[in-house]
Amino acid sequence: MKEGIQMIIGILLAALAGAVVSLQTVFNNKVNEKTGSWTTTTTVLGMGFLCSFIVSLLVEGKNTFELQHLQTWQWFGGVIGVGVVFCLVQGMKRLGPTFTISIVLTSQLGTALLWDSLGWLGLEKIPFTFNKLLGVLVIIIGILVFKFGKGKEEKS
Amino acid sequence: MQGILFAFLGGACITLQGVINTRISDTVGTWQAVSLTQFVGFLLALCIWVVKRDGHIAQIKKVKPLYLLGGGFGALIIFSEVTAIQHIGVTFAISILLISQLCMAFLIDIKGWFGLIKQKMKLPQFLGIAIMIVGVLILSYK
Repeated sequence: MKEGIQMIIGILLAALAGAVVSLQTVFNNKVNEKTGSWTTTTTVLGMGFLCSFIVSLLVEGKNTFELQHLQTWQWFGGVIGVGVVFCLVQGMKRLGPTFTISIVLTSQLGTALLWDSLGWLGLEKIPFTFNKLLGVLVIIIGILVFKFGKGKEEKS
Repeated sequence: MQGILFAFLGGACITLQGVINTRISDTVGTWQAVSLTQFVGFLLALCIWVVKRDGHIAQIKKVKPLYLLGGGFGALIIFSEVTAIQHIGVTFAISILLISQLCMAFLIDIKGWFGLIKQKMKLPQFLGIAIMIVGVLILSYK
């Protein structure tokens, strides 16, 4: 029973995150129309920090500054986010959005499966099964159909 | 080929970021983790901006305030993703996240929200979403 609730919470939050990612992409593109991509990235991350910092102060209070237990590598997690922006911009320039996003999504899923199976960085290991590989492959086919299906014409 | 490599690396880094945020959340609280990663990312982006100077603050002021809020969504996104990974694992969480992301993008396109050009609904997109959902069902089948 408890496991079921955990599952539902996990699914709902993952769905929420996905929907907000798309909203954020649209909003960030609007910012990008007015200025350069590094100016946009800096603004977006600055706003993100400001909002999370305020929530952290509200929820955790003084604990917000209790960071002494962090391992050295954990301080640099945020660097990856900037790496993502750089890679995506470079990919888009060379391949265009459809092809780039298809590869990005495929790579995201593939790495996720690898991560669960190997339990890297001390994450709880979730055993690899044939079902998982098949599921991921089917999702990737879905992504390709979605992205490459000629259907998104402009309305006249 | 270079483009494919960049796109592949970008995707791998997105997953890596989710995992790292989850691990940081195990050490300190989730909101601390979210604040910390965004702060470090912001500092690095700021350093690059100082070198590149591809825009200035006057341009930011011309953006509708609503759209500047997009950055703030980052807080909600990372918090939800981390909590989802803790509950259902990386593969399942990322799968659901991607489907929801594509559905939302599709919805924005066909409704023409936020002043975007309206797109017509076509079969391949529905088919694609249906196939992805089948994939998640296979994935979660014990």
